[in-house]
Amino acid sequence: MIELSFWDAYGSTLLHWILVGAAIGLSMVLLNRALVAFGVKRETATGYALVLPWLLGLGIWILYPFARSLYLSFTQYNILQPAQWIGTDNYVKMFTGDKQFWLSLRLTILYSLFNVPLGTLGALGVALILNRDIKGIGVWRTIYYLPAVLPVVAVALLWRWMLSPSSGLINFLLSPIYAALDMEPLAWFTDPDLVLPSFVIMGMWGVFGANTIILLAGLKNVPRHLYDVADLDGANQGQKLRYVTIPMLSPTLFYVVITGIIASLQIFTQAFFIEIPRRAGTFLNVLIYREAFQFRHMGYASAIAWFQLILILLITLLVFKSSAAWVYYEGERR
Amino acid sequence: MTTTPVSVDKPRFGVSARRTVTNIITYALLILFSLFVFVPLFYMISTSLKSEQQLFAWPIQWIPDPIMWQNYGDAFAALSSIAPGLTFWRILFNTLFITLLAMTAELIAVSVVAYGFARFRFPGRNILFIIMLATMMLPSIITLIPTFLIWRNLDLIDTFDPLTVRIWFGGGAWAIFFMRQYLLTIPREMEEAAIIDGANTFQVYSRIMLPLARPALLALGVLIFQGNWNNFEGPLIYLNTTLKFPLVVAMKFFQGSISNEAPKWHYMMAMSVVMAAPILVIFFLAQRYFIEGLTVGAVKG
Repeated sequence: MIELSFWDAYGSTLLHWILVGAAIGLSMVLLNRALVAFGVKRETATGYALVLPWLLGLGIWILYPFARSLYLSFTQYNILQPAQWIGTDNYVKMFTGDKQFWLSLRLTILYSLFNVPLGTLGALGVALILNRDIKGIGVWRTIYYLPAVLPVVAVALLWRWMLSPSSGLINFLLSPIYAALDMEPLAWFTDPDLVLPSFVIMGMWGVFGANTIILLAGLKNVPRHLYDVADLDGANQGQKLRYVTIPMLSPTLFYVVITGIIASLQIFTQAFFIEIPRRAGTFLNVLIYREAFQFRHMGYASAIAWFQLILILLITLLVFKSSAAWVYYEGERR
Repeated sequence: MTTTPVSVDKPRFGVSARRTVTNIITYALLILFSLFVFVPLFYMISTSLKSEQQLFAWPIQWIPDPIMWQNYGDAFAALSSIAPGLTFWRILFNTLFITLLAMTAELIAVSVVAYGFARFRFPGRNILFIIMLATMMLPSIITLIPTFLIWRNLDLIDTFDPLTVRIWFGGGAWAIFFMRQYLLTIPREMEEAAIIDGANTFQVYSRIMLPLARPALLALGVLIFQGNWNNFEGPLIYLNTTLKFPLVVAMKFFQGSISNEAPKWHYMMAMSVVMAAPILVIFFLAQRYFIEGLTVGAVKG
């Protein structure tokens, strides 16, 4: 039996935690004093001192790792031997010699392509219904938010089980349809061709969730008088939706779309808990994890991570560019 | 009298009849959507109370008979069997240890930094703030490998340090943004009065700002607790010793240790219920704060 003393497991971390916290506090005080001593204005000195923890974090946990991972992406590095510069070999391998990479890239992009629009439209639909004059709004809102409160792991396992081919709930509910059409029950996550729809269906469950609440809050923010004006002009429901609600809601929709894209391109935990056939590929983040921490290909994994970063930036930029055409900021044109 | 001509092509219901119809459709949809939420949830709980034979019963048994309450004990006995000395309480303690240390550090660090951004003018503040917003868009995986290498150089792999100590450095950009937005809504008069009374910055922060920002701190605390409780990637990468596993990683380890022929879905669902329970309790107690936490930034822009 392995003995693990309390100190080794928790005590040392607790001590480090207290020491680092105290050290950061102390350095804030010292920075403040030093700046004041050098004749900096009091307000300025205090300001810098207060944001110091974040500034340190920016340097240590973001800028330095950022530069290091760019460097690593041009090397071969397995941790045990020093990193070896190999130029663009990792990128060449990624695009020309790695079938898993292409499969995973395809799966990840297709997932976002379906998940983001469907999720946003679904959430918008639910939010529009909730925005009517209905009784017990708080109760409905609570119910629809439940799936988002559940731990991702629980959701992933639940759907893996519900979509189980031979004894899952979904195939049970669909069995009359299978019988009527005289077809084999679908194999969902275990069928390479159905992996994508299965993940999209699971993702749709989160429609009832954060996005609905966010869009509902956006809807409540649309000034009432705009609808009154539209009523005076004889607008019908559809026209009010098209010319008042959607434009006024567009900044919120924009936020939901952007965060949705960023999140869906980075899905990890669900993909890790649900085994899928190798032929279907996997999600990019899981691929990066495997390359880095199972095969110790730190250089190659960094290259994929950089590719993913550029992909996310390009797509986000595209959405930002397009936003000029469809996002309406009220304050902007006054 | 209005001069508007009555339109002839519209159905000749009264307004109230039409309203009743739309109301019925609205509530019918609301109930249908609730079923989409509740049926899977019910299925999760029902599965967790079934015996292994009942799992594969066809047609599906909605209400297990007999109800296997002992599944919960058995599931955690099975979970503990993945390593000698591992118990349910140990796993729970690991999870709470990580969650509480990370949460405390993040709340303190975030409120301090946000206070700086919200209330003090200094050269470069706006540029730094924009940089901070930009870091929210960075995929975390890009810094993951070098960060792992930093902890490896410090010889702190397989400790809780990477999951807790690092949070002191400002915490998440989103949290700082959230806190700053909240602090901006607090009027300055109280602080100014305190400063005139001779309070220093630390006193203003701890005696005036923190109490006034309590709702925001609670909202953040709830979301940060949820995030750490559910965090899988961090513990997966940094922890190797089974005895240090939090709940999620132990579940993954257990899932990997059972064969495909006997997936033990009743145990997996029991563990999922246990894992979801604290979050659900907090959610019902502090719902307002959950919702507040979600909507900042999205609506106010």
